[in-house]
Amino acid sequence: MALRMWASSTANALRLSSVSTRPHFSPLSRCFSSVLDGLKYANSHEWVKHEGSVATIGITDHAQDHLGEVVFVDLPDVGGSVTKATGFGAVESVKATSDINSPVSGEIVEVNSKLSETPGLINTSPYEDGWMIKVKPSNPSELESLMGSKEYTKFCEEEDASH
Amino acid sequence: MSKLNVIYAVSYKLEIMKGYCMSVSLNTQSLQGMRIPRNLEVWRLGMVNYLEALKLQEKLASDRKISKISDTLLSLQHPLTYTLGKRRTYYNLLVPDSELKNMGAELHYTQRGGDITFHGPHQAILYPILSLRDIGLGARKYVENLESTMIELASLYGVKAHGQRKCETGVWVGERKIGAIGVRISSGITSHGLAFNIDPDLSYYKHIVPCGIADKEVTSLRKETDMMLPGDEVIQDQLVSCFARSFGYDNIIWKHNASVNEIKIHTE
Repeated sequence: MALRMWASSTANALRLSSVSTRPHFSPLSRCFSSVLDGLKYANSHEWVKHEGSVATIGITDHAQDHLGEVVFVDLPDVGGSVTKATGFGAVESVKATSDINSPVSGEIVEVNSKLSETPGLINTSPYEDGWMIKVKPSNPSELESLMGSKEYTKFCEEEDASH
Repeated sequence: MSKLNVIYAVSYKLEIMKGYCMSVSLNTQSLQGMRIPRNLEVWRLGMVNYLEALKLQEKLASDRKISKISDTLLSLQHPLTYTLGKRRTYYNLLVPDSELKNMGAELHYTQRGGDITFHGPHQAILYPILSLRDIGLGARKYVENLESTMIELASLYGVKAHGQRKCETGVWVGERKIGAIGVRISSGITSHGLAFNIDPDLSYYKHIVPCGIADKEVTSLRKETDMMLPGDEVIQDQLVSCFARSFGYDNIIWKHNASVNEIKIHTE
């Protein structure tokens, strides 16, 4: 178990150094989920990218791998609001609908309409084309309590290793 | 550090780790007797109206979320009921609502995954209210375990069923569907679950495109087995045991006087 955890963090370190444009189905990411630098992470496996006054939100590679093939995405409307750690939408995979929680509070300024036609983008490109909503954070200090990439990587390893 | 140096460092460390892990695993074995046993509380509810069962699940799920209760399983049957999932695939209902009423069947819209389905007498239903985070399962693995539960039950009666067909979650005997799954996961807590056909009236499936799959038959344990079937209660209890085994529970605790009315008692 310790061996797997250590090997996993080495693999992640190697992959992090080669940047996020690496295609999803590389040999390393078949075994280990990818985690990107520069994003913040919730322990319910959503990521946030804060750029200026906008925060983009999606679910992580670890989350999409544990969900299976996404066949349907239920997203809220633009203009609505989200609250930290509360559900804003859902994805369906393998006959299971799973609620998605927002890592931050704020107003929804954009929603990824591509996901209604191509929900599988969440599986193939969880950090880029599979983004879900963009939010104007009402309380940017909420981002500070989220995990960074190293913390989240460790969190996933511990979660997977303990069962 | 160059990539080559990193690889050398990795292989050197692997050698050290190998030795470390061997001693760790030996220690774990000696601790195994001290592992905390996992309990499953089971409610035998008999025949329950769909909405009442749903209300009970919602109450139990919010209790489970705050760890007021441990993992719970509802074992029941429904009267004639059709349900739609979150995707609202209403087009898979082939008769008007009014005709359903005339049959004495109810129609409900739900938040679960999956397509349209039918529930009725002699169909065994399990609604697990589990914390997936506590047991370390994602949606995909959870659903696979639900499939295994039904596959194992079928095998008790000599029926070879299989699951995990690409894009078609559920349990099949050949090309015929014997068990359906539709689940909701909210903040890591499960609700809804599985439905296994013991011996329901299969003609009710003619009014829908079951699970949205047009060209496949629906079947039942009665149709597939050569064995004599015991009463439904026996088979439902066996299904509970198969569930406990699939999910690695150590103990089943059968709740006394289990009833949907439990929620009314709590709110008075």
